[in-house]
Amino acid sequence: MSEFHDDYPSYETLAHHSEEEGKPIRKNLWRVFWYMLAITIFELVVGSMAPSQGWSGTLGIKVLFIGLTIVKAGFIVMAFMHLGHERTFMKYTILLPYVIFISYAIFIILDEGVYSGDPQNRTKVDPLLIKQQEDLKAGHGHHADAAEGHGAEHAEEAHH
Amino acid sequence: MSHSTEIDSKQAWDGGTSPFGVSYGKMMMWFFLVSDALTFGGLLVSYGFIRHKYVDVWPKAENVFTHFPFIEQHLPLAYVGLMTFILIMSSVTMVLAVEAGHRNDRKKVTIWMFWTIVGGATFVGSQAWEWYHFIIGTETGALRNVWSEELHTYVQQTVYGANMTVNEYGVPQFANYFFFITGFHGFHVFSGVIINLVIFLNVLKGTYEKRGHYEMVEKVGLYWHFVDLVWVFVFTFFYLL
Repeated sequence: MSEFHDDYPSYETLAHHSEEEGKPIRKNLWRVFWYMLAITIFELVVGSMAPSQGWSGTLGIKVLFIGLTIVKAGFIVMAFMHLGHERTFMKYTILLPYVIFISYAIFIILDEGVYSGDPQNRTKVDPLLIKQQEDLKAGHGHHADAAEGHGAEHAEEAHH
Repeated sequence: MSHSTEIDSKQAWDGGTSPFGVSYGKMMMWFFLVSDALTFGGLLVSYGFIRHKYVDVWPKAENVFTHFPFIEQHLPLAYVGLMTFILIMSSVTMVLAVEAGHRNDRKKVTIWMFWTIVGGATFVGSQAWEWYHFIIGTETGALRNVWSEELHTYVQQTVYGANMTVNEYGVPQFANYFFFITGFHGFHVFSGVIINLVIFLNVLKGTYEKRGHYEMVEKVGLYWHFVDLVWVFVFTFFYLL
């Protein structure tokens, strides 16, 4: 369509398909949608159960959530963005540089983040804030005594 | 699509054909998305760093985002779950528009593009609502030592909500990263809605009908899915973990 396009072969029109060919494609897309919806609902259920079950912040739940996120990301990139059906060369040109850079970045923040979180390397945190978080962890947060149904504007606030 | 039979392997590198089997525009969209994904990756990695640094005072999302519109109850994470659903849904309608484009079905492209735009606009509005509640905070607020310019010392003071310097829910860095990353993502959604709108108008005008293919829909579709992709990660790192 413009001078920037190579004129042969026309990749734009190669992606066409007929009505019958479209049916299984649409079916597959909806299936991917249901998978993603199921994963998201599962995540929210586990996430809302976590505090009472004492799962919050455990390694298991972190691995579970990050793993499910990567599964969802895979669905989006491979099915919705169609990368799974592109030529292998194209696929890895997009994926490999990204995976290599981000893997390195993740390694370096885990390493350095743990080091700089060490008390002797850390900037001071407001003691009142530390106390608030400890109270919250102990289960009697500052929200707890908030009365119900105050005025229209703030009514949905501060319930615990 | 993979059409390896269309291009002779000997011709592939001697000019004139794409070794990637895609058009120039689509490949450049992919390259742009890789660079944009690196930006978001960098932001989230830096979020992870600060979170590790303040791991013991990092607020838990279920204590922060507890509101749902029109319902006066404590519903942690429910609204963000709905927002996630809306964005995934709009990603599905987008991919259906792309699929309809491959069949040159102008009517279906119009319908699915329309719903994509509705979903995107709803998401941006929801995010504004979420920000509003995060900024005004709770009725009770929280005690903090706040630096006073006049007294040149820290004074105890009740703070409400979150901004760039204080955050009633936990360390200010949580609010900083929340505003920056969800703001940057929200801006992407906003521009995505505008771009989708432009393409939608072109579909209505029949521009792509005349051109004989709907590849522009596919290209904005890639951008739109990318916005959804980023949200999947933001959702995990800010709300779930």
